[in-house]
Amino acid sequence: MRRLLVVLVLVLLPVLAFGAKQEVYVFNWTEYIDPGVIKQFEQETGIKVRYSTYDSNEAMFAKLKLVKKAGYDVAFPSTYYVERMRKLNLIQPLDKAKIPNMKHINPSLLNKPYDPGNAYSIPYMWGSSAIGVNSKYVDPKGITSWNDLWNPKYKGKVLLMDDVREVFAMSLRSMGYSGNTTDSAQIRKAYEKLLKLRPNVKVFNSDSPRQPFLNNEVVIGQIWGGEVYQANQENRDIKLIYPKEGAIFWADNMVIPGSARNVGLAYKFIDFLCRPEVAKKNCEYIGYATTNLKAQQMLDARTKNHKAVYPDDAEMKRGEFQSDVGEAIMTYEKYWEMLKTQ
Amino acid sequence: MKRAARFIYLTCIYLFLYVPIFVLIAYSFNDTKYSTNWQGFTWKWYEQLFTDSPLKEALVNSLVIALLSSVTATLLGTLGAFAFYRYRFLGRKVMYSFIYIVMMSPDIVMGISLLMFFITIGLATGPLTLLLAHITFCLPFVVVTVYSRISGFDRNIIDVAKDLGASELQMFRHIMMPMLMPAIIAGWLLSFTLSLDDVVVSFFTTGPTFEILPLKIYSMVRLGIKPEINALSAVMFLLSLVTVTVAHLVTKENR
Amino acid sequence: MVRSRFRNFSIGSTMLWIIIFVVVPYIFVVLFSFLERDPVTTVAWRFTLAGYGEILSPVFLKVCWYSLLLALGTTVISLLVAYPFAFFLVRLPEAYRRILLLLMIIPFWTSSLIRTYALVILFKANGIINTFLLWTGVIDEPLNLLYTQTAVFVGLVYTLLPFMVLPLYTSIHKLDWRLIDAARDLGATSRHIFFRIILPLTMPGIVAGSTMVFLPALGLFYIPDFLGGARSMLIGNFIKNQFLTTGNWPVGSAASVFLTLIMCLFLYVYFLSSRKAHTGGMGDMA
Repeated sequence: MRRLLVVLVLVLLPVLAFGAKQEVYVFNWTEYIDPGVIKQFEQETGIKVRYSTYDSNEAMFAKLKLVKKAGYDVAFPSTYYVERMRKLNLIQPLDKAKIPNMKHINPSLLNKPYDPGNAYSIPYMWGSSAIGVNSKYVDPKGITSWNDLWNPKYKGKVLLMDDVREVFAMSLRSMGYSGNTTDSAQIRKAYEKLLKLRPNVKVFNSDSPRQPFLNNEVVIGQIWGGEVYQANQENRDIKLIYPKEGAIFWADNMVIPGSARNVGLAYKFIDFLCRPEVAKKNCEYIGYATTNLKAQQMLDARTKNHKAVYPDDAEMKRGEFQSDVGEAIMTYEKYWEMLKTQ
Repeated sequence: MKRAARFIYLTCIYLFLYVPIFVLIAYSFNDTKYSTNWQGFTWKWYEQLFTDSPLKEALVNSLVIALLSSVTATLLGTLGAFAFYRYRFLGRKVMYSFIYIVMMSPDIVMGISLLMFFITIGLATGPLTLLLAHITFCLPFVVVTVYSRISGFDRNIIDVAKDLGASELQMFRHIMMPMLMPAIIAGWLLSFTLSLDDVVVSFFTTGPTFEILPLKIYSMVRLGIKPEINALSAVMFLLSLVTVTVAHLVTKENR
Repeated sequence: MVRSRFRNFSIGSTMLWIIIFVVVPYIFVVLFSFLERDPVTTVAWRFTLAGYGEILSPVFLKVCWYSLLLALGTTVISLLVAYPFAFFLVRLPEAYRRILLLLMIIPFWTSSLIRTYALVILFKANGIINTFLLWTGVIDEPLNLLYTQTAVFVGLVYTLLPFMVLPLYTSIHKLDWRLIDAARDLGATSRHIFFRIILPLTMPGIVAGSTMVFLPALGLFYIPDFLGGARSMLIGNFIKNQFLTTGNWPVGSAASVFLTLIMCLFLYVYFLSSRKAHTGGMGDMA
């Protein structure tokens, strides 16, 4: 037994040893960067990238809130979390002079209400959530509105996101309200309407909604635009329809947490990601829309014209970006729990 | 007749356990990046895994943590089970109930409570806190497994050993340990498995520098599994099979 | 009373570990359950019972009830499957036994998440089982397997079975077979032998195994998520949401305390009943 322990310590030592190299700590969504990009950054700068991942804004937020010092240098919250973290002083204002490549970012994605003047964040990837259909079973021409999900003929065939904000935004917009409402009467109405949708719902999935579509488990439901693009590489029948009430837009943004270890390296890394060639590589790897206009122009014609990935301006106008609802999230959460336990 | 029924039953159980794994291995040769539908045969996921993969480092970290925590928990837990059996001391029952509470509490509560604790005492999260957390949630499983065997023992054995002049330590080392060996091994295996597989507690108790495999897999699985993970699982499965076979042959020769 | 350095060490090491890493952190949880939620600092240091008020709502009780049923069902199925299995295993020659026991463990060295995902591949509408059945002509329409209650049970049993088998194996292994031979010589029927001798003697293993299956089954939220389509919320999901999504730590803590109390009650009742039955094992502790 003693010999075993000695061996174990020997195995462990190299793992625990800290390198003297400069390191940048990146906290990102899973599968949200091309590994080749990280390698390129390391080779160019000699800085080691320490990369960890999370799978939800909530998880990222909980972790950042708890790490008071020597935490992550770069993180990638979604729009409404940028707002929330800004309010709680969890992220620091950006010095734009240190990010010259920011000029390539699509201006129509900048200066949104969640972060006026982009004082704290730079969009990294963006996209929409709209209606997905399998055209083998559902005629896409017959689907125009979120309300079509309520059609009784789709009993047990509908997919909803497993995400309180997405599902309520859908229901709210189907009634003409804002998806970012903080009015509890509207939220209650949205809940009552969702209750009627319950028999149609086969599965809640927001991580990878294309899977139940590809598996023929569902034929209609909410889906991310980028997921449709990915699904199309195997099955062309999966189509995206922008409902007439407007799609729900999201964007994930690069920020520097207040607890960053090395702010200078964080800027270097962010600026690197804003480089058009790098952004293009990431976009091709991830499958979601890049915020980098120059990179978008460099993409092949099929990708950059895929309407599911890059909605046109009219769709953008009709849709709505998610923003923080503050304490109203408690009301949302209460109805969400009631919906899930039905 | 009876033997045949027994054979069929055992076979069915093992099929139940192994069919999903064979499916997993089959799909590691699937030529598609995004889905679980069969698209054709390829070796490329294995190439990717061996040439360049962030999964490798996470795997090593996970194995180290699992080994260290399971060994420590087994040593501590065996001692603990023995103490609970042998001695009467203040707070014994309360402590034993706490063993159960650890097993009972949802992972998330344990993760959060340990994190609050580590932050309060100013210990930065990283490999060390992860190790402490893993030992903590493995410990009760060892205690319960070992205790369930020790409690069936004849107490006279202890008296005889004492009469023959054995010290407590000698009695534990030379009488209890060998008799408890099957339970100790079972407890260690449980711990090792639990540690290698834990997601939730680890999420809260590891730091930015230390990524482990289950955490990586958890987020990857949710976003649609990549065949690269299947390839890794296939390799791990084969490795454990080989290890077990070798261990089996070696111990056989020793007899 | 025996006093020795070894005694102090063996008691001290375990006690100390449990106090530091279980009792103290758990006190934090209890403490937090009485505090007030604060959107900025997570909790405010003001005493309130609001956390407990909220978990008495019908939503939480429904979540509890459903989780308990699911965990109970899983435990019963696992026990029924694992008991004969462990029994057959013990009766095999030693060489086979060791191999089979290891074969039981090996699958669990590959991530349970991935293996759950493999079940999805088997169960889905265009998956292996449905394709096979359609091909043989047994069915004309794909069966609805994935995102059902059955799928969740299969997944839970699949993941937790070894946690039932190992303790059962340990306790059946140390059964004194001479007792059974003696009973048979005295003319006891097989049924009698099983219910009067084997079952009581293996009770510690049954309790240990059931505990090890029942309790994790309450918390394994990813299996109902993957296989059940996340259509129902379990206690694990509820607590996770309180800590991660809403940031409502007092309610999350209160729910944890509540859950722990219910469990203590379950265990206490069990201790009482097992002591009455003179089955030994963990009943000795109570």
